Amino acid sequence: MACRKRIAVGVLLMLPCLFAFADTTVVVRDAWVREAPPGAPVLAAYFTLENQGSKADRLVAVLSPDFAKTEIHATEIRAGVARMIALDALSVPPHAIVRLAPGGQHLMLHHPRRALAAGASIKLELRFDSGARLTVVAPVRRAESGAVHHH
Amino acid sequence: MWIARYPHQNTTGTSRMTRKALISISLVAALGIILVLGYLAGRTFRDPARATTLAGMTVLEPASPLPEFRLHDQNNRVFDRARLQGKWSYVFFGYTHCPDICPTTLVVLRDVQKIAGGKEQGIQYIFVSVDPGRDKAATLKNYLPYFHPEFIGATGGQGELMRLTRALGAYYESGEARGGSYEVHHSVAIFLIDPEARLRALFAGPHDAARLAQGLQRLKGD
Repeated sequence: MACRKRIAVGVLLMLPCLFAFADTTVVVRDAWVREAPPGAPVLAAYFTLENQGSKADRLVAVLSPDFAKTEIHATEIRAGVARMIALDALSVPPHAIVRLAPGGQHLMLHHPRRALAAGASIKLELRFDSGARLTVVAPVRRAESGAVHHH
Repeated sequence: MWIARYPHQNTTGTSRMTRKALISISLVAALGIILVLGYLAGRTFRDPARATTLAGMTVLEPASPLPEFRLHDQNNRVFDRARLQGKWSYVFFGYTHCPDICPTTLVVLRDVQKIAGGKEQGIQYIFVSVDPGRDKAATLKNYLPYFHPEFIGATGGQGELMRLTRALGAYYESGEARGGSYEVHHSVAIFLIDPEARLRALFAGPHDAARLAQGLQRLKGD
């Protein structure tokens, strides 16, 4: 009995440590999903990661209940040819800002499980090397090239 | 060099005065030359007839005629060289399983359409899928109207696609299959074909709608 109590106390004492271990100084901002034509097999999500601390972290996976699969990708343009490169992880060095933006790094979202038009939003769970998990809600937006002003 | 050496020269009062005057005159003359050159350069860049190229735009002189090729469009109608005749065409290569660069470019082309116009201006916008294995006529018919109802989708057999891409200097290649899917690497350039079905210019990217529209405007003015 005493032994079991001691274990319980031990576990309780360890809990804050677990949380501390799973802590990250990375914050996620401006997450959004590019609206795609109806029935499009893939979509892209973009966001900004900011490491506000002095310890490096790495984004190792992203989960979303709205898609069959998600991958961290980079569009690489070499000699005028675009190549999509799947990345195992995305480093977020101390005090760095890492942007996922059109034409660069992005989250590739495979096979949406429901129709996603502008105005909808999706849930993303970002998993880090540190063990931390950040949940963000990303709105689906129609992308504009910015060249034409709408009135 | 002599200006820099001037303070160390040990000269008489009069010649020092002369030197000072000389320096002043030279400085005024230099300034004048700079102003005239600046004015001329400014005039050249403002005058559309003089400067046919824009940043990121390569104009082919002479234009390069395209060979015969046979693709099909999103309505399963033949899309061949004849379909490029009589209109200016912006051509872009991509595929519908491309979540980033292809929709980004198609949004730019949608904005070019807003600026430059479409059919009524004798301009057409063509998305050529280099992923015929997954992109069928019906796929393109579903995909393209989202960007613009007038956009033309075309694809076809690898041999016919190659005929067109080779003639334009475009490139594509299917990547390795991974987890039941694959990527297609492709040129990011937008090609501008003239009404005689000749490659007239290409835009290297990153693309800008205003610049794409302006490029055609300049070529039309030539």
